[in-house]
Amino acid sequence: MKTLQKPTLIILMASLLSACVSLKHVHDFSSASLTGVQGFNELGYSFESHCKANCRAASIRNLNILDEDCDCTSDQMADSVTLKIYNVVQGYFDGLTKLSDKTLTNYKTDDLQQALIEGDFGSITVGQKEVTSYSKISGVLLRVFTDTYRKNKLKGYVKEANTPVLQLLAFLKLNISSNLQGKLNVRRQRARSYHFDLVNDSTLSNYEKARVVKAYHNELHDIDQKQVKLLVYGKTLDTITEGHQQLFNQIDHLNEAAAKQVLYQYASELGTMITELKKVNE
Amino acid sequence: MARLTAHQVNELAGHFLAVAQAIGDYRYQNFDTLTKAQNRRLRESHKRVLDYSDAMYTRSAILVMENTQSALTQVAELAEQIMGSYTALQNVHKAIDIASSTVTLGASIFSKNPQAILNSIEKLRQTIKA
Repeated sequence: MKTLQKPTLIILMASLLSACVSLKHVHDFSSASLTGVQGFNELGYSFESHCKANCRAASIRNLNILDEDCDCTSDQMADSVTLKIYNVVQGYFDGLTKLSDKTLTNYKTDDLQQALIEGDFGSITVGQKEVTSYSKISGVLLRVFTDTYRKNKLKGYVKEANTPVLQLLAFLKLNISSNLQGKLNVRRQRARSYHFDLVNDSTLSNYEKARVVKAYHNELHDIDQKQVKLLVYGKTLDTITEGHQQLFNQIDHLNEAAAKQVLYQYASELGTMITELKKVNE
Repeated sequence: MARLTAHQVNELAGHFLAVAQAIGDYRYQNFDTLTKAQNRRLRESHKRVLDYSDAMYTRSAILVMENTQSALTQVAELAEQIMGSYTALQNVHKAIDIASSTVTLGASIFSKNPQAILNSIEKLRQTIKA
């Protein structure tokens, strides 16, 4: 069997290696986006839980311990719509993260090499040097082909997904940061009205009124905490939206330094927001 | 008249909330000069407007579904395709593992070592199953 000359081998390896694509910046951005989107599971508030809290508050206002009627059907539907959007967006970024992961095309042929070197194949002998050299070339070839396949597939997916994903992110934000946030503002006003009347009830003692004020501030604190979480999550969705738009804009120039810097920047911003949301949850 | 969109209902909810705020603020600021009946009527109006606002926010959230059907289908299909590509590339890992196990089996057969043959067959079987 003719063996390749060393200089030819080096030139071939160099040209093959130059065709390899690093997608680390895409992976970092996708992975950060995925974690950011998954913050949905840490919000701790929903349309249904708001409805139930309202029913409880109404029972307390009306001094009612018998009637347990609480129709939250519409709110359950609202939650179902929001969850559906979340699941699809999460699935997309999960796929993007997996596909851009460098270990996906980091094929280890060590076991195969070892099996070829150590194996006793009767009269056929396989030299260690040959196995090692050809394994290196085949490893690089494999990497180049699969990386090229991966890069082209990613390009296609990002281009096709950009418009609908941005739409879904916008509607997810509408439901969380605007609709659910709005309901918390309603709750805030209801709490104020109820506690105002109690504080101005002349039959209550000062001590009782002080307890009412304390309960009101506790309620406000609870609402504030929830609203901060929804706000941070909304900002996270905005950053993911901007980042994905940039990914789309740069998709044909992924190897360029500018494209890498932009995506790393968004990944870093998302990291900060994820930390912020975690702190609020503590 | 065309149906309202999710954004429009959301905006309406915001306007109702603002009106409710104005009613509430008026009641608190003028509490001392209002009669009991006037206070009760304002309190009830405040509550009703808040209830409308609350219901509109929920309605807006549900209406979102009408605006996102097409995008949901598109992205869900794309996510499936992405996983298809991911699985195809993962299968290369599996193919290499199967190749290694097959070579080892071949070597065992050449070596005519029954135990080695059995072990290799088992390893190959596990690799294919994984």
